[in-house]
Amino acid sequence: MKTSVKWTCITLLVASVLTIVFTTNIATPTFGESQATVSEASVESYPNQTIEVVVPAGAGGDTDLGARLLSQYVGEELGVSMVVSNIAGAGGSVGSREILDARPDGHQVLFFHNNLLINKLFGVSDFDHRDYKIAAISTFDMGDTFIINADAPYQDATELADYAVENPDELYFGTEVGGYTHLQMMAFERETGASFRLIDVGGASDKIVALLGDQVDVIPIAYGVTTDYIANGDFSSVGVLAEESRELYDNTPSMVEQGIDIEFEKFFFFAFPKETPDEIVETFSQAVKEVVENNEEYQSRAESYYTIPEYLDGEEAFEHMEGVREYYTELIQTLEEDES
Amino acid sequence: MVDLFLNGFVSVLNLETLLIILIGVALGLVFGAIPGLTAVMAIAICLPITFGMEPLNGMALLLGLYIGGVSGGFIPAMLLNIPGTPSSIATTFDGYPMAQNGEAGKAFTLTIIFSFLAGLLSFAILIFVSPLLASIAIEFSPFEYFAVTIFALTMITSLSGNSMLKGVLAGCLGIVLAMIGMAPIDSYPRFTFGFSDLDAGLDVLPVLIGLFAISEILKAAENKDDQNKKRIEIAYKLRDIGISFREVFQQKWNWLRSTLIGVGVGILPGLGGSTANIIAYATAKNQSKTPEKFGKGTPYGVVATESSNNASIGGALVPLLSIGIPGDGVTALLIGGLMLHGLNPGPLLFEQHGDVMYGIFAALLIANAFMALLLIIGMRFFIRILNVPQHLLLPIIIVLCVVGAFGVNNRLFDAVILVACGLLGYVLIKLKIPIMPVVLAFILAPILELNLRRGLMHSNGDWTPFITSPIAFVFLTVALISVIVAVRNNMKRRRIVGDQ
Repeated sequence: MKTSVKWTCITLLVASVLTIVFTTNIATPTFGESQATVSEASVESYPNQTIEVVVPAGAGGDTDLGARLLSQYVGEELGVSMVVSNIAGAGGSVGSREILDARPDGHQVLFFHNNLLINKLFGVSDFDHRDYKIAAISTFDMGDTFIINADAPYQDATELADYAVENPDELYFGTEVGGYTHLQMMAFERETGASFRLIDVGGASDKIVALLGDQVDVIPIAYGVTTDYIANGDFSSVGVLAEESRELYDNTPSMVEQGIDIEFEKFFFFAFPKETPDEIVETFSQAVKEVVENNEEYQSRAESYYTIPEYLDGEEAFEHMEGVREYYTELIQTLEEDES
Repeated sequence: MVDLFLNGFVSVLNLETLLIILIGVALGLVFGAIPGLTAVMAIAICLPITFGMEPLNGMALLLGLYIGGVSGGFIPAMLLNIPGTPSSIATTFDGYPMAQNGEAGKAFTLTIIFSFLAGLLSFAILIFVSPLLASIAIEFSPFEYFAVTIFALTMITSLSGNSMLKGVLAGCLGIVLAMIGMAPIDSYPRFTFGFSDLDAGLDVLPVLIGLFAISEILKAAENKDDQNKKRIEIAYKLRDIGISFREVFQQKWNWLRSTLIGVGVGILPGLGGSTANIIAYATAKNQSKTPEKFGKGTPYGVVATESSNNASIGGALVPLLSIGIPGDGVTALLIGGLMLHGLNPGPLLFEQHGDVMYGIFAALLIANAFMALLLIIGMRFFIRILNVPQHLLLPIIIVLCVVGAFGVNNRLFDAVILVACGLLGYVLIKLKIPIMPVVLAFILAPILELNLRRGLMHSNGDWTPFITSPIAFVFLTVALISVIVAVRNNMKRRRIVGDQ
């Protein structure tokens, strides 16, 4: 009897230790003691331990998949392992804040997209790319598109615009209020004079359900997740919100090609805490560059997720984001003026 | 179809895939059985591992984890009164009393039999009628969701115990907890008091295991000496696992109803297994001729919850596999699993990757059988947990709960929430306020609010569609009737008590 008790205890203890090891991929949880300076020795030996990539979105989405794919190859390049932690919540601001307060030794990095900027503009968070040290932009998704039912009376962007001008507030536009796609609707309305009825439906899969169930008429969404429905004859795309059409997105004509000047390119970037030494950021950035520009295996896998591998270094990335920020700000301002 | 099916089985029936399924189910059971660790976490951890596998093997592993994770939760629920996962919350109501009455063996056997059968039926529904069911689910707009959620909320009346007033109070507390964080749609921060940690609101898992597990452990700490002896006695009684065919057979309607509830709730995105078991339990109690036996160790309660939570797996997979839409946290991860392997989820999955899809069906059926098999073999070992003195066992469970709470979002703040909710749960127990309505309201309130506001956006502020939609009307009417009946019964019971 006694021995069985002992063994059960030992088994339980081993099990608990194992689960802790398996479930906890963070080296050290930080409690805001972020301003610690990084010694020169640790700058030189970087990276010398596992790098944690914080994805401020749930597992299984496009940001998560992109982060996991890159981590695998960039980790090989740097000679350390990189693990992804998902810290979802409040439109990504919870996870982003985690890196804002992280130890600036380069072993915790943020992987996120445009929403970092949008969160601040819509007042969801009080920080944006200017509060980080941007390491690189690694990937673009230039396949954002407006999807409609295949039997709708309008089938391209100009027809959609005309219809929405003639029948203001009749078409239901299914989006996430205060999100990236909400801005896309605003831009389309401003550019064409169209007027939609704004309906909050949620994330990508919720939008598909809403359109399938005829609860809405137009959804702004990434082309990649709708290919099946387009091939199936359920949906069609009125055009991608990019400068030019691409083979990756089945040569769907772009809005710009159809004379509607709106471009929304989703970019994915790596960012470190502001105090991180430049040498560390540079080492990391170079590894990303090598993978994105020269690793063919990575490139083909990234394209299978309907993303375009393209590297911008820290400075270029920052400039790009500044430009994007200006565009978004102006967009929101003109709309606020219209309303008042 | 038969051909495709046979091909599916052929592609799964090789040593490697079978082994992967077995490992998946076993690991899932461990995650399910440990309070704080759930199927979602097991799948999230194993998702990167499937990177390097064949698509079918990868999915087989994830589905094995899913089935195991949902099934394993009953073990601590029955033995320790601590649900292992949100899907077995209601199992504590009758499973634990059964074990205390020396019927742990019977409760285990019933659970295994009906979990298996419910899984089987729900997968059959998934395989044969999922396109039809998915097309119905698509028709659900915010108005219908709102009505269904209201209906589910009225279950609070059946879960309130003796005092309806305390039940309603507990429900309101749950709603208040759910309000913390950014409001849906306009992201307006509520009750955050300037703490950015509260922006994302309280996560379901830390709240749940705090309220159930931590509070239970605190309660056990009160009577530190006399508990151990009793537990060991129960452990010995487990040897008696025999149940008669009649005892199984008389559960047939209960099983069927609970399975259908599980499938139905599972299909609707957002609700899922954690609500299915509560709804099935409350329905079984309402339909029973002897509702007073519920909560004191009736096999009907155990069969209802354990059928419905396994059935919700098949339900949740319906929209995923037929139109490529995730129903809950787990299926969202499974979509990630499919995408990792270049299988783009959508209506053409079957046309383009029929081989993998039918392989997935076969893997599900095999995983279901493995689940039952592993539980039958493991039964006598699980019970040994009771041999472990509580002063050793409970601290280990606390550690695991903290790990689980941390693992949800890799945030230490969630562990703080866990402890706070544990203390709250303890206070509620002391005040004799039922915890169940708190949890039910906490899970349902955000869904309710979101769909109410979305619905009003749709109708431009007009409330009539909530009543004119036929489905919504039916659910709201049933909800109203069930509240009236419950209030009347409650008053009647009080009068009887008063007369005595």
